[in-house]
Amino acid sequence: MEHTEHLEHTETPKDMKSQIWKTFWILFAFTIVDIILYFVLLSNHSMMKNWVFIILGIVKAYYIVGIFMHMKFERKSLMYMIVIPMVFVIFLVALMIIEGDFTGLLRWIK
Amino acid sequence: MATNTLSTENKFTWGGGKSPFSVSYGKLMMWIFLLSDAFTFSSLLIAYGFIRYSFQSPIHNEIVKPLAHVADNFVEQMQQAGLFLQDHWPSPELVFNHFPFVHGVHLPLFFVSLMTFILIFSSVTMVLAVEAGHRMAKDEVAKYMLLTIIGGAAFLGCQAWEWTTFIGEGARLYENPYGPRSFAALFFIVTGFHGMHVFSGVVLNVIIYLNVLNNTYEKRGHYEMVEKVGLYWHFVDLVWVFVFTFYYLI
Repeated sequence: MEHTEHLEHTETPKDMKSQIWKTFWILFAFTIVDIILYFVLLSNHSMMKNWVFIILGIVKAYYIVGIFMHMKFERKSLMYMIVIPMVFVIFLVALMIIEGDFTGLLRWIK
Repeated sequence: MATNTLSTENKFTWGGGKSPFSVSYGKLMMWIFLLSDAFTFSSLLIAYGFIRYSFQSPIHNEIVKPLAHVADNFVEQMQQAGLFLQDHWPSPELVFNHFPFVHGVHLPLFFVSLMTFILIFSSVTMVLAVEAGHRMAKDEVAKYMLLTIIGGAAFLGCQAWEWTTFIGEGARLYENPYGPRSFAALFFIVTGFHGMHVFSGVVLNVIIYLNVLNNTYEKRGHYEMVEKVGLYWHFVDLVWVFVFTFYYLI
């Protein structure tokens, strides 16, 4: 029985199972923090509050993509190919939120 | 022994004979598909951010406290109290305050948090199925795939219930009792588009689950298909993290 060649796999840590559960608890904790912060900052409507939630979302995304989707253990070239376009998307989010504020002003002037 | 599909890939797929990213062709294409899908979702969320900030911020609610009693005409009361206005974005805690089987209690964001936990948990069972696949443990893969399917179906059920509640209160694509019309329109489009992804994810998971039971991957010699569908499933979870952040928190 010949042993067929398998694609070389970038290494997976030996303790993957414990890493998965650790990631789960991190995501769980961040979601709880999100909800608590929502009620703490309820009367606050500054741009800073949005950035707090967006950054918490990005932290959660880091754990989901890094551990669950295995990106942390893939080649760097693959990681940059996926991550760099998304940086521009975040830039566009910031631009459009600011632009929306101005559109609101126009509506108020009318 | 059956020939390994990955070894034929090595010969024909890559000009250099070897994947430059050290992943198989299918997995690389799944990543590229997910990137393009991320752009689609980003465009929806960017449109949301733009429209949300072209309206004034929600009015701070000091009337209804958590766990307070909620009357049947809650939406009308809020309209009269001046908390649901046409030129102010509604406060999510006053809109998303329902919970199945609990009637007449103000439970802000409880249900959507539950939905988030369900989806995160089904993501965990999916990654455990992938991990079991690396060890060629067929029974474990099957067990975790089944749990993932149940999680996905539970999430879809929650979403159906939430949609029913809103439609019952008079929210439509073209009208919205909570405030600006675009609020309900965006809600149905964004969560609907995400729900469609969850639904197709559950269908793919069922196909993979049946293949696992039929020994398809055992014969193939690897469980890479579980990984590829797993990538898609985690992406759906990832999108929900941002839908949750943008729609319910901001």
